[in-house]
Amino acid sequence: MTLASDDDFAAAEFALGTLEAGERASLAARRLREPELDAAIRAWEARLSPLAEATAPIAPPDDFLPAIEARIRAAAARPDPDGVATLQRRLALWRAAAIGATGIAAALAIGFVAREATRVVAPKEFVAILQKSGDSPAFVATINLAKGELSVRPVAAPLQAGKSYELWIIEPTLGAPRSLGIIDAAAVTRGARLAGYDRAVVEDATYAVTVEPEGGSPDGKPSGPPVFLGKLVAVEP
Amino acid sequence: MSTVEEASAAMEAKAASDDLAALLGRVAAHDPAAFATLYRSTHAILYGVVARILTRGDASGEALQEAYVRIWQKAGEFDPAKGSPLGWMATIARNRALDEVRRVRPKSLEEMPEGFEPAAETVDPLAGRARSERLAALLACLGNLEADKREAVLLAYYRGFSRDALARRFGAPTATIKTWLRRSLMQLRECLES
Repeated sequence: MTLASDDDFAAAEFALGTLEAGERASLAARRLREPELDAAIRAWEARLSPLAEATAPIAPPDDFLPAIEARIRAAAARPDPDGVATLQRRLALWRAAAIGATGIAAALAIGFVAREATRVVAPKEFVAILQKSGDSPAFVATINLAKGELSVRPVAAPLQAGKSYELWIIEPTLGAPRSLGIIDAAAVTRGARLAGYDRAVVEDATYAVTVEPEGGSPDGKPSGPPVFLGKLVAVEP
Repeated sequence: MSTVEEASAAMEAKAASDDLAALLGRVAAHDPAAFATLYRSTHAILYGVVARILTRGDASGEALQEAYVRIWQKAGEFDPAKGSPLGWMATIARNRALDEVRRVRPKSLEEMPEGFEPAAETVDPLAGRARSERLAALLACLGNLEADKREAVLLAYYRGFSRDALARRFGAPTATIKTWLRRSLMQLRECLES
């Protein structure tokens, strides 16, 4: 076993499905860069997969075959069916822009995003991985523009007592960074604060997290430099 | 395999599995007729997999469609040495369902509709009719786990329970559940490899 045993257990839990959202997203990102971890996940999936044979069938409410065939045709008609290459090019540009603009390496987890992009999901869904230059994402932000919903999940961002993480939207036309609220340590921040922004602004903005006094910035401005940041990536095909 | 019935069931399972493997091979070559046949013979199982995790009909239908698109795209990656065709397909469907259920927010058990109590997690590993040798081996190993710990693994597999959901279900701290899972999974692997 060349994997650290914690990683092997994480792989097992990924396959079993018991990881919470942030851990699952983090591992999904890592497996694309770490072949051993990917192999461990696949091995666990194979070990557990015979259970699927014992699944009692349920008849779907509709015949989905025509819809599936239509999706397959649509995917085949696109020059880049998974959109991965396109996304990676866009990400590279964004990353360069973020580094240039802030001087902080906003290393987006390209693998994770590329994998997300291969999914056919409801439109108007975006995800951002907010992180430092290190390997692990600190927060996973998901934005649903149609619903005006924003959720931010901490992945690995321990915070000292008496402090709060605050989320900011940064975009040239807005001028100063604007607060999107405090990230609740419990799990998820969601709110309609995005509703007031144009779609183009939301899509192009950089999202940043600062450490603030408990309860948030006292004067509505970031108290210090961002500790994590990232850009949104559309997960619609 | 101790009885004629079990041996016969395992042989039937193997024949069905070989058929699916052949279909997957044709799907890998992008044969639409083979894909339609594959869909017809597996969609109720795969829908059973995703619907128990997602519980909402619209989300389940979506996950099913996404899963079959991926099966079409990835059929060439299926390796019969590493598992059954149905297990491979179900893993794709399960991952789609788990991504969805974890993406939105931790699914609350309270949202489980009344009367939605599939029998799958009550599978009795010791009495279950083996459908394949791999399943028989896995069920035998599951049978070695304590009842609570076995149920936790099955609830996670069939219903997509997270650690937190399992903690609520069993009235135990999440850390305890993590310890259970770790021991159970390592015990399963040891058993399967012995």
